[in-house]
Amino acid sequence: MAHQAHSYHMVDPSPWPILGAAAALLTASGLTMWFHSNSPRLLIMGLISTILVMFQWWRDIVRESTFQGHHTPTVQKGLRYGMALFITSEAFFFLGFFWAFFHSSLAPTPELGGQWPPVGIKPLDPMDVPLLNTAILLASGVTVTWAHHSITEASRKQAIHALLLTVLLGFYFTALQAMEYYEAPFSIADGVYGSTFFVATGFHGLHVIIGSTFLLVCLLRLIKYHFTPSHHFGFEAAAWYWHFVDVVWLFLYISIYWWGS
Amino acid sequence: VYLLFQALRQISQRTISTASRRQLENRVSENQKLFQEDNGLPVHLKGGAKDSLLYRSTAGLTVIGTMYTVYYLLVSSMPKKPN
Repeated sequence: MAHQAHSYHMVDPSPWPILGAAAALLTASGLTMWFHSNSPRLLIMGLISTILVMFQWWRDIVRESTFQGHHTPTVQKGLRYGMALFITSEAFFFLGFFWAFFHSSLAPTPELGGQWPPVGIKPLDPMDVPLLNTAILLASGVTVTWAHHSITEASRKQAIHALLLTVLLGFYFTALQAMEYYEAPFSIADGVYGSTFFVATGFHGLHVIIGSTFLLVCLLRLIKYHFTPSHHFGFEAAAWYWHFVDVVWLFLYISIYWWGS
Repeated sequence: VYLLFQALRQISQRTISTASRRQLENRVSENQKLFQEDNGLPVHLKGGAKDSLLYRSTAGLTVIGTMYTVYYLLVSSMPKKPN
C-alpha cells in the first residue's frame, strides 16, 4: 500500500459534489415550478436529494476523520480556516438585511406616515417573549461552553448533559419563535416593516435550526465516543456557529425588536 | 420532596439491560477496523450494502429529477398556442 509523503488529505473520488450540485438545480427549478405551475413535485425531489447528499457527505467526513485518521493537525488547520471564512460570509449575508432595515427605518417615507414603526403597525413588545428568547440563547452560549470544557477535561457525563441542555434550549427558542410568528398582529406582506422583520428574523430562525441540528449531531457523536479531549473540531465548529447565531440574535433584538418598536 | 429526589436519582442510575447496553459501548475501534480494511472501496461505499443502496437511491432520484427539470424548462420556454 503506497504512503503519502505529506500531511494533507487527498480524498477518495466522491459522487457527492456533483450530486449536490444537481440537488441544488432541482431545488431551484422546483421553486420555479411551484411558483409558476402550482406543483411542488420538483421542489420536494430537490429538498429530499439535498438532505440525502448532506447526510452522506458529512457521514463520509466522519468516517475519514474518526475511523480512518486522515485529519492531521494540518488538515484540521484548513478546516478551521474554512469554518471561520464560512461564518464570515454568513455575517455579510445578515449585514445585507440589517442594511435594508436601517435604510427604511432611519428615514421613514411619507407612505409610512413619516414614522417608525409605520402607521398601523403594532410591533411586538420587546420585553415579552423576545426578551425570554434572548435569555434562552445567552444561556445556551453558557451551556455549550460548559460542554466544551467538559470535553477537554474528559468528563463524559457532564459533557453529554451540557450539550443536551444546549440542544434543548435551541429547540425551545425555535418553538417560542414559531408561536410568536403565528400570533404576530402583522405579516410579511405588511409593507417594508413586515418585509424587514420577517426576512431578517426568518433567516435567523433558519440558522438556529441549522445550528441546533449541527449540535444534535455532535451530541450523538459525543455519546458514541467520537471526540477526544484534544481532538474534537466538529464540536468546536458547531460551537462557533452557535455563538454566531447568538450574536446575530442580539443585533436583531437590539435594532429591530427594541430600537425599532 | 427529598425522598422524591432520591427516587429520581435512583431511577436515572438504574442499570441498563444487556440488550441495549451494546448500543452505548465504544464501537470506534470496530469501525476503525472496518473503514481501514484494504479492499479498494471508496469511503462512500466502504460501510457495506447499506451504503450502495443509499447511494443508488440518491443518484437515481437526482438523475431522474435532472431529466425532469430539463424537460420542464424546455416546455416552459415554448410559446403557448393562442385559442
